Amino acid sequence: MPQLVPFYFVNEITFTFAIIAINVYILSKYILPRFVRLFLSRTFISKLLDNSINK
Amino acid sequence: MYTNFSAAGCMDNLSPLSQFEVRDLINIDTPVLLNLHISITNIGFYLTIGAFFLLVVNLLSTNYNKLVSNNWSISMESLYATIHSIVTNQINPKNGQIYFPFIYTLFIFILINNLIGMVPYSFASTSHFVLTFALSFTIVIGATILGFQKHGLKFFSLLVPAGCPLGLLPLLVLIEFISYLARNISLGLRLAANITAGHMLLHILSGFTYTIMSSGFVFFLLGLIPLSFIVAFSGLELAIAVIQAQVFVVLTSSYIKDGLDLH
Repeated sequence: MPQLVPFYFVNEITFTFAIIAINVYILSKYILPRFVRLFLSRTFISKLLDNSINK
Repeated sequence: MYTNFSAAGCMDNLSPLSQFEVRDLINIDTPVLLNLHISITNIGFYLTIGAFFLLVVNLLSTNYNKLVSNNWSISMESLYATIHSIVTNQINPKNGQIYFPFIYTLFIFILINNLIGMVPYSFASTSHFVLTFALSFTIVIGATILGFQKHGLKFFSLLVPAGCPLGLLPLLVLIEFISYLARNISLGLRLAANITAGHMLLHILSGFTYTIMSSGFVFFLLGLIPLSFIVAFSGLELAIAVIQAQVFVVLTSSYIKDGLDLH
């Protein structure tokens, strides 16, 4: 099986870990917080709307 | 003689495993630095494309922070909600959320690389056992370290099933220990074996259909039957690409939960 050629093992593992580490960093620092802020603002607006209807 | 030669050449090209070969695209040999062979291989190239695609899709889906979603953001928000529910259900509704960025990245990384593998003439990175084993061993060892960090030596109580009779304890602990070690292998093997098997099946069916359809007009019509199977299996492979990514993430969450809560 070509998957089991040990010559490229280090290359594959290096690329995998480097890419996952970079992705985890960028997603957790820049992208996922934007999603959370968006969800929070939607919740806030819907609560404002509920309050104004109740008044 | 010529026929034999060309048949052998054809067989080489049509080997179902040839699609998984790693090749150097750019390489540098450095005799100065301990004879290092630094190279950008096809797997590295496709993993980089996948990472770039992941970031672009996620950036597009933030929709410039507008409250009303567009199509990109609806799809990514539903993906977000799916992974979030997996993390909160499997690990812990409150404390589990710190693992969410990792689990989310892992899911999209596996999903995108599975889907890139489905593009004709591209490369299925997740069919490589080294890649999936590297992920699975890291996850299981990480969950074990987490368990030892939180519970100390009480972590070994994970190997004792609740309410087991004392006489059976040594045997059950041995079985549980072996099953704990087998998680390393099973998590990675499941993903790579599924992707490898699917791609090989499609390759073999395509070769078969091509041979039939290029044999004459009647055979061309006859070849439409295996061609329909190829289309059906391609749909199945797309589903498997999503399901395997989800299974990987669900099991990762459950292993982290085992490390945190001990059953």
